[in-house]
Amino acid sequence: MKTRKVLAMAWQNMGQRRLRTSLTTLSVVIGIAAIIGIASLGEGFRIDIRDRMESGFELSNLTIIPGSLFAGLSRERFTDTNIGDISRIQGVRAATGVMQLGNVTLYSGNETVQAFVATAVNYTSFVEIFPDRFVFEDQPPSQFTNDTIVIGHKVNYVSENDTTPFARVNDTVTLSLGIPTGQPYPSIRFQNETFTVGGILEKRGTPGITNFDYWVFIPVDRAREVYVTEESDLVFVKVYDPEQSERIAKDIEALFPPYRITILVPLTFIKQVDNILTIVQLFLTAIASISLLVAGIGIMNIMMVSVMERTREIGIMKAVGAKSRTVLSMFLAEAVLLGLIGGVVGVFTGYGLSFALAYGLSNFVQPQEQGATFQNPEGAQRIAITPALSPEWTILAVVFAVIICIAFGLYPARKAARLDPVQALRYE
Amino acid sequence: MQTIVRVNDVKKAYRMGEVSVPALCGVSFHVEDAEFITIFGPSGSGKSTLLHLIGALDRPDKGEIFIEDSNLLKLSDDKLAELRLTKIGFVFQFFNLLPRLSALANVKLPLSIAGVSEKEAQSKAEEMLRLVGLETRLDHRPFELSGGEQQRVAIARALINSPKIVLADEPTGNLDTKTGLEIVQLMKTLNQEKGQTFIVITHDPNIAETAGRIVYLKDGLVEGIKQAPRGGSR
Repeated sequence: MKTRKVLAMAWQNMGQRRLRTSLTTLSVVIGIAAIIGIASLGEGFRIDIRDRMESGFELSNLTIIPGSLFAGLSRERFTDTNIGDISRIQGVRAATGVMQLGNVTLYSGNETVQAFVATAVNYTSFVEIFPDRFVFEDQPPSQFTNDTIVIGHKVNYVSENDTTPFARVNDTVTLSLGIPTGQPYPSIRFQNETFTVGGILEKRGTPGITNFDYWVFIPVDRAREVYVTEESDLVFVKVYDPEQSERIAKDIEALFPPYRITILVPLTFIKQVDNILTIVQLFLTAIASISLLVAGIGIMNIMMVSVMERTREIGIMKAVGAKSRTVLSMFLAEAVLLGLIGGVVGVFTGYGLSFALAYGLSNFVQPQEQGATFQNPEGAQRIAITPALSPEWTILAVVFAVIICIAFGLYPARKAARLDPVQALRYE
Repeated sequence: MQTIVRVNDVKKAYRMGEVSVPALCGVSFHVEDAEFITIFGPSGSGKSTLLHLIGALDRPDKGEIFIEDSNLLKLSDDKLAELRLTKIGFVFQFFNLLPRLSALANVKLPLSIAGVSEKEAQSKAEEMLRLVGLETRLDHRPFELSGGEQQRVAIARALINSPKIVLADEPTGNLDTKTGLEIVQLMKTLNQEKGQTFIVITHDPNIAETAGRIVYLKDGLVEGIKQAPRGGSR
């Protein structure tokens, strides 16, 4: 019997038992809708998280800190030779070492403010590495001199509503450096240094691990004079292609003895989170798949009943010359059609369901407070997940539905195919 | 005259739980090409079992059955199905039409199974229904037809693939006498016009005697074979 005819007969059979067919199809629709609903919502959630992290983290920036997170932070530091070696690695656009001077106090007239850290930088390199964050409220200074200090937003405006800044551009401020005792600065010459304000940074929050809002910046040459050192505490690296950052990190690690340094690679972190979310998504989808298995058992049950009801019909078919495999294919065709229709309707229902769930979730979850420590892109505070449905998932879901229907329809179909024609004809 | 069906010492028993109930206890006879033969016997004599065996729906426990040169015992299930499709047509007592299909679709069924194109099947089935006098009933479903009409549809279905042999199992058993005789007359006419072999099972002596030859069956054995007094075509 031709395949088209088999399908046509299967379709006709299903049409004869509309209610039963509809209910059986509904069970497949529910199963697939649950899978697609969860999967597309999960995919949307994953993409949303990844986008947030990608826009929050500076993917092309690596941070090299001395010591190992496992072995404790050593006080070993980076020489200019080290930094030169790093900047020569293929794919590295720029590398700059900075000195971190903790616990500093700024004086301007009678005003006093604390800064989390004073970072001694090479301004030119620093601007190249952080073009999005090393941004000034007004015009950037026409030139950076050995006298220029740049002040972080929250150092200059202590509270959110503070309209009076601590200092303005071209003001003279005195920086009182914390006095580290002992190593690594054995011979500090000065405690207070005077600088001219070159600019105030815009508020930017925390991408990755650094928050410039609480920092002040001084020229590295000046700090080296003060601390009588040629070494850096941290190295910031900018790479051309973020996708290469893991390879570059390995190359950098190879320049140092084992456990000497730790490299923070945003891409690795994002990948880890992405992997975790993928696993969660798959887990939830697997749970949703149980409903499709339940649907499969329902299909098996209904088809067993159908085979029993149609025993005489099967006998007639065989008497007029139908082979066992023709009978098998007729019943399997019904299972395939159930799977196809249920799968396709289920995909659309599930996609619709995921939008309803996303809408519910976005109303349920309160928007995050403005000014939180994490840097957020404009308007991204609100949890607004857009469910994502990939063509792969769509095809996979429909194929899965058909496979389940065939798997559970196979036993009843074989039962039908193996019926003894004489017994079947006698069946009342 | 060529022998088309040969039954050699065929035995068949059915198991009813622990007990084996013999249905045929060594039946032998033959049927010639284009013959109209009846197998006559009381209920339980093994008539239907014999018909199922000749019709390749079942296999004997012992003995041989030949359809033309094919030994049915040696054929696989698929080959038997093919034989039923191409060489044998069945007419049953209870018509055995598919209730949800129209008369036309029921007649088309063997052609669909054989993979004949829809267009060809349609015209053949229409022609066959015209032949049995049901050209105005093409789209009626079995429940919309009388018993006689249903049996005509069944005959049309049995003949659609132009089989060599038509096997009829009590074709008049579910019809009134007048309609029954009409159906037998139809089969006889087809036998004469188309030259197909008809093997008709009956327990009605009036029907049995319409045939050219009658095989008397009793308790699973052939009691006798005789020419009918007002015999049929042969």
